[in-house]
Amino acid sequence: MPPSIHPVDLIAALREKSLTPAIVFLTSRRACDEAMEAFDHARTVLPPERQEAIATALERVIAQYPSIAEHPLIPTVQRIGVAAHHAGHLPSWKIAIEELMRQGCLDAVFATTTLAAGVDFPARTVVITQSSIRKARDFMDLTIGEVQQIAGRAGRRGKDYVGFAVVTPSPYIDLHVLTKGFTGNPEAIDSQFTISYPMVLNLLKAHPHEQIQAILAKSFAQFQLNQRANVLEGKLDVLHTQMEPFGPRVCTDWITQWHTFDQARRQKPHRHQTARHESPEVTARFHFMTPGRVVGLNKGRGIVLRQYRSKGQKSPMVTVLRAGGAITESPAGTVTDVFDRLFECAEQQGYPWCTSESFDELLYQLTELPTRLPLLPILVSKESDLIPDAIVQSLGDFPCPSCSSRPACQKDYLVASRLRQEQQRHIKSIQALRTSLWHRFQERIDVLQKFGYLSPASHLTDDGEWARLIRIDHSLLITELIRAEAFAGADPAVLTGVMASIAHDDDRPGAFPRVSTGLSSLLGQVRKLAESLSPYEDPPLLRADIAAVAERWVSDPGLTWIGLCRSTTMAEGDIYRLLARTLEFLSQLHTLRATHPGLADSASRAIDLIRRGVLEELP
Amino acid sequence: MTTDELQQLLAQQPIAVLHRLARGRVHRHFRAGKRRLIELLLQHSSQNLAGLESDLQALIGERQAQPQSTPAPARQTAPRHPAPPPNRRPHRTHEPESTEPSVSLAAWLEGLGVPSPQPFVPDPWQVEALAGLAETDVVVSVPTGSGKTYVAVEAARRAMDENRTVIYTSPLKALSNTKFTEFSKIFGSDRVGILTGDRQDNSQAPILIMTTEILRNLLYDAAGGEIDVRLDTLGLVILDESQYLADPERGVVWEETIIFCPSQAKLLLLSASIGNPQDIADWLTSIRPSPCRLVRHSKRTVPLRAGYLHPNGKLTPLFRTAGIPYGHPGQLHPEAKRLFLEYEEDTLPSGRPRR
Ligand SMILES: Nc1ncnc2c1ncn2[C@@H]1O[C@H](COP(=O)(O)OP(=O)(O)OP(=O)(O)O)[C@@H](O)[C@H]1O
Ligand SMILES: [Mg+2]
Repeated sequence: MPPSIHPVDLIAALREKSLTPAIVFLTSRRACDEAMEAFDHARTVLPPERQEAIATALERVIAQYPSIAEHPLIPTVQRIGVAAHHAGHLPSWKIAIEELMRQGCLDAVFATTTLAAGVDFPARTVVITQSSIRKARDFMDLTIGEVQQIAGRAGRRGKDYVGFAVVTPSPYIDLHVLTKGFTGNPEAIDSQFTISYPMVLNLLKAHPHEQIQAILAKSFAQFQLNQRANVLEGKLDVLHTQMEPFGPRVCTDWITQWHTFDQARRQKPHRHQTARHESPEVTARFHFMTPGRVVGLNKGRGIVLRQYRSKGQKSPMVTVLRAGGAITESPAGTVTDVFDRLFECAEQQGYPWCTSESFDELLYQLTELPTRLPLLPILVSKESDLIPDAIVQSLGDFPCPSCSSRPACQKDYLVASRLRQEQQRHIKSIQALRTSLWHRFQERIDVLQKFGYLSPASHLTDDGEWARLIRIDHSLLITELIRAEAFAGADPAVLTGVMASIAHDDDRPGAFPRVSTGLSSLLGQVRKLAESLSPYEDPPLLRADIAAVAERWVSDPGLTWIGLCRSTTMAEGDIYRLLARTLEFLSQLHTLRATHPGLADSASRAIDLIRRGVLEELP
Repeated sequence: MTTDELQQLLAQQPIAVLHRLARGRVHRHFRAGKRRLIELLLQHSSQNLAGLESDLQALIGERQAQPQSTPAPARQTAPRHPAPPPNRRPHRTHEPESTEPSVSLAAWLEGLGVPSPQPFVPDPWQVEALAGLAETDVVVSVPTGSGKTYVAVEAARRAMDENRTVIYTSPLKALSNTKFTEFSKIFGSDRVGILTGDRQDNSQAPILIMTTEILRNLLYDAAGGEIDVRLDTLGLVILDESQYLADPERGVVWEETIIFCPSQAKLLLLSASIGNPQDIADWLTSIRPSPCRLVRHSKRTVPLRAGYLHPNGKLTPLFRTAGIPYGHPGQLHPEAKRLFLEYEEDTLPSGRPRR
């Protein structure tokens, strides 16, 4: 049996049961194109009146978007009433297919799951052939929300009594993901708030520094952080009640008193060195290496399962879950990064230090972590909370040995100190939850001050005033390039090339035209600068081949769209998106006309040159 | 257990079990077919086969313990029978729902067809959303294809009747273009404008369509002191597809837009079904001048049925019931279950049937 149904058979089966029109979701653009090719030799063709209906409908779209008049797929679509719709196509072609579908001219469309939400593109049936999709260069299971979004296209209001979602298997399918998706509740939305440089500049332009924290507090991110903090506060209340029996005794803080005494008593002979060599950083960060925390180690990342102090040296240690399920013990000092990512971790005494469910979950989370994670901003306090030497040395002065409360203290100490530790951990977490956005904002301020966009008093400098208008990805690189006068004398084509290489974030390989020497040397400069900025901003891919495609379109106004497409293996839709995105970047440069008239002028000429042919068709 | 025995046991598991086992063991396991996955699992655990085995046993145990969520239970012992005909009661004690006969294909396909044209009557939730907007911000969370556009159009109409301007945003340029065409048809092209990253058409029109990023930038410019009369007369901001709030890269733009949305303008958030719409509404309530109204429902207007199409062309219902058994992913149709197990077995390239 073949691993999946042949496209021609699939459509035949759907037609036979009157399940058309249908949208068939396939894993890749390639799969969609191959499915279309499979119809080259199919014998079933549409009756002439349906072929005519398609031709008429297409003519109307072509009148508006002439670029698709010669589209190579038109004959196939007309003959068989089936089409493909994916990101490799021009927007105008996609509009044409959507229009044909709306008018009921087509029986089926092969599409990828990128078929955007909100596009009015309904059908009687959707066919699902996969349970995972490519996201950020990796395959991920479809979420419940995604399955329902896909299934949501089945059943047209007013045209169908019922809609159908048909699963047909392919070798990568996990049926459970789909059944869960059909029957489950969609996932909750989680805030993805990040603080960018332009955000900081624009906020500080409009509001004094001291008002910013209140503005950040209005974010959904803070709303959700508060929800988590509230849960912890609830737990804190419970702990508070549990702590009641352990209130002040003969000493107000008997727990610390007993702890110190007990330690000193036990370790008197070899005078322990309670982490005396610990740097303040390690101490500060150790507080955050709590169970569930993602940390970076010399080799790869891991999730903390527990923290403790080693038996002999009392050095801070963490037990870390590593990729592949290994559990390692590491000194806290070897942790290179503490990330701003904390997972639920149901702790448990004894190996593996958390419940097995938690273990599975964490292990899964670990594999699913994005490559880049924000670091947790940790303030290092200079004072250390070590037990002062003096206390240890003056063991003789302890009141404990003869105290009346000694038996009670001795008995309760373990429980009480565990409760108190938990309390302190919660208090720290709550504090972190309530202030983390503000810390991140501060970090950004530090960088902007260092580069001179902000004065030491956090006012916008002259450079900051114009830099706040650049509100796109890689804004720091772009503003630094402008300050370095990298674009001085760059003609519109070279400027376009550089902006395209900054804007493009896809690493799909391909064959491309050659890049001019002028552009090539400027790109070298950009690359160097991007690298030097990498501690502050992730560098873009800066592909010279991509830059060359955009450069050619601008440098040769006689070049036709077809000519440009022929010069590269990039799909038409990708070239279109590249140029559209480059236009957006260039128009941001154009907003700098007051301070950088030369650059703005060059950008505006580039914009005019890009906008021709296909690029002119859509607003 | 020897490696061979373990391999056999692995081969008998549905692919879902293997994927769960592979989490954290095999990088990018979703790319691997069943056989390759087994190879990779064994390879990875060659030093610790016992660990792999015990995890596997645990998973098998777990799936047997909760047959509800089991699309394809492990069956190292169960011999394969053809599925019982739908009208006979199968003797599975652990599946309480199996006392109900499974739906037949004919019944599943029943009702297929085109309804006769009906006059347009707004749905109750649409009326509710519009009524809410007369007073305050509204969050709408309803399934895809329910008719959110109608709410947007009517709300825009009412705002314009009060001489207020309207901004409609969508996450994608392509969507903005579609809405531009659609709104121009409804309101007349002189009353609708569009702003994109590099172009402005009719940018002083009472209804402006733009991507959410552009609106965010307008709001920043206004906060920075630039005068924008359009924002002074702004009566309504519609954020379509606002489930994009959860987008890892762009979600922040929705937050910025909502935080800086002028307080005299009403906010209308239109979203596909999401898990925590109440949180979104509570958030808006906490930062906006008046308490936000939440309009939500999860029932699809056109009911959905799920089916399974075998590569040999055989079609069967996917679930025991014609409709979707919400909350019960394990209620697979016996025929679909049988065919899918067969599929998994056959797609093992080694191909030896194990019966
Ligand atoms: N009350 C109604 N009665 C009948 N049909 C309606 C009603 N409201 C909307 N529709 C129709 O439902 C279809 C889907 O509407 P719309 O595109 O607004 O859905 P949506 O909720 O925006 O979906 P999406 O999640 O895909 O954006 C349209 O064809 C519309 O005309
Ligand atoms: Mg919509």
